[in-house]
Amino acid sequence: MLATRLGTLQLTNPVLSASGTFGSGWEGREFSDLSRVGGLVSKTVTVKPRPGNPPPRILETPAGMLNSIGLENKGADYFIPESLPKMKQLVGEHGRVIVNIGGESIDEFVELAERFTAAGVDALEVNLSCPNVQEGRLLFSTSPQMCERAVAAVKAVTDVPVFAKLSPNVTDVVEIARAAAAGGADGLTAINTLIGMAIDWRRQRPVLGRGIGGLSGPAIRPVAVRMVYEITRAVDVPVIGVGGIQSASDVLEFLCAGAAAVQVGTAQFADPALMVRLVEDLERELAGLGRSVGELIGSAHPEAGPATPGQPAAAGASAQERR
Amino acid sequence: MDGPIPVTGPGQFYMLRTPTRWPVLLPRPFSLYDRAPDGSWGSFLLKGVGPGTNALLDVDVGEDVLVTGPLGRTFPADIEDPVCVAGGVGLAPFLLLARAAKANDRPVRLLFGGRDRAALAGLEDFEPIARVATSTDDGSHGHHGLVTELLERMIERGEVRAGETVFCCGPDPMMHAVAKLCERRGLRCFLSLETYMACGYGVCNGCTVEVDGERFRGWPYSKTCLEGPVYEACELVELRS
Repeated sequence: MLATRLGTLQLTNPVLSASGTFGSGWEGREFSDLSRVGGLVSKTVTVKPRPGNPPPRILETPAGMLNSIGLENKGADYFIPESLPKMKQLVGEHGRVIVNIGGESIDEFVELAERFTAAGVDALEVNLSCPNVQEGRLLFSTSPQMCERAVAAVKAVTDVPVFAKLSPNVTDVVEIARAAAAGGADGLTAINTLIGMAIDWRRQRPVLGRGIGGLSGPAIRPVAVRMVYEITRAVDVPVIGVGGIQSASDVLEFLCAGAAAVQVGTAQFADPALMVRLVEDLERELAGLGRSVGELIGSAHPEAGPATPGQPAAAGASAQERR
Repeated sequence: MDGPIPVTGPGQFYMLRTPTRWPVLLPRPFSLYDRAPDGSWGSFLLKGVGPGTNALLDVDVGEDVLVTGPLGRTFPADIEDPVCVAGGVGLAPFLLLARAAKANDRPVRLLFGGRDRAALAGLEDFEPIARVATSTDDGSHGHHGLVTELLERMIERGEVRAGETVFCCGPDPMMHAVAKLCERRGLRCFLSLETYMACGYGVCNGCTVEVDGERFRGWPYSKTCLEGPVYEACELVELRS
């Protein structure tokens, strides 16, 4: 009932962690049994260590938060021996280990893909789109040609599925999605954070140390749902939906929009055991509906057939359902 | 958490969040103030400073609060007879410490400052078990002035000597002033930082402070939630001039 797949990658259930919101899972190990989630996606790993951006790095905003962490991580030389074995241990036999890689050039993407393929991962997620770094990497998320080249270069050196994480900070996300698919992406992760800013008018300065940051949380959920819907209607590649998920109801919304799996991010800051609870709640909801995950994927698309008769879910219902 | 409040060291904290006060999203960190010996209840000192803290203050008796913890590191346990310096709700980490010191017949020294008498919430819990001096900005209780002036006076009278240790928690300007005074007078100083956090358990990388010290192994930033919230003042780059 819960099983799903992303290309050739089989998942026991559609719930994954979103990159950069759960480390490598180790810090969350005491709060729930992480072998029950579909998989863990690592925080972005770069070739060289990155200390990250100056504080303050986060701010809560209405129904969301801004962050400008700046890909703080100790680099692949640290991650491969120290963190990757822990991820494998946490997810056990059935959960998937997906490593998110961030290159500043095609060469770096290739190097990371080669090293992680050799180290053994179930899939790679290519971070085309972190808004919090200054280098020319922005081009990978905004230029269809650069996006296609980066994905194709990674695909050429690995035999594991490759997912491209897309930025919402573009005029036409479908155009970029098509480019990633043309580059051979086995899946698309949509979406990364929306670029935002908050200003402390008393100090007349931006609140965050770096000025701008990425907006996440329930505030961006409708944007993410819309983009998942648009992409999956136009591109024949599985999509992982991410943006503001807090409840099983939100997961179901993304599935109906067309996502084959989802990632949980900001909400697990507030509740470290959230992913496992979502798996349990989702199972109960689906049993009530008498439907499987596979049957719901894309079911809101007009071509998927008539709507299920029943009460429409009240707007904001999922917010009230939360514990 | 369901069930008893675990044994918690002074300085350790919990993330608190009301699950129903939309649109507050993130939990907020608070030191555990008091705890029943059997863990059947715990208490926190809260002051409303924004939407998150105000939502918690609106919680009614019987309403659920999501509580995650204990998190973070304690004030060092091997320091005998520290001088505790607290500002406002920065008093919170010191009650458990004061109770332990009292049980060992070494009542703790507490210097407690606030804007006015009302900001000295919790004072009555300490008066029977600690050696307390207070200060208020408006002179409504204790010394009329700053809590750092109380500390300076104790140093001048020889009641606190170089080499002794200060534990401090309060607003940033107060902690900075205390740290500077300790540096000048040759006292060790540990601060419990109150940084903005999203998760409290080490995954958001949002609560970092700039640090320098052996235990950070060359990394310039430290996560307050895991490696803090208690730091020795000399570890914090911001306090170096």
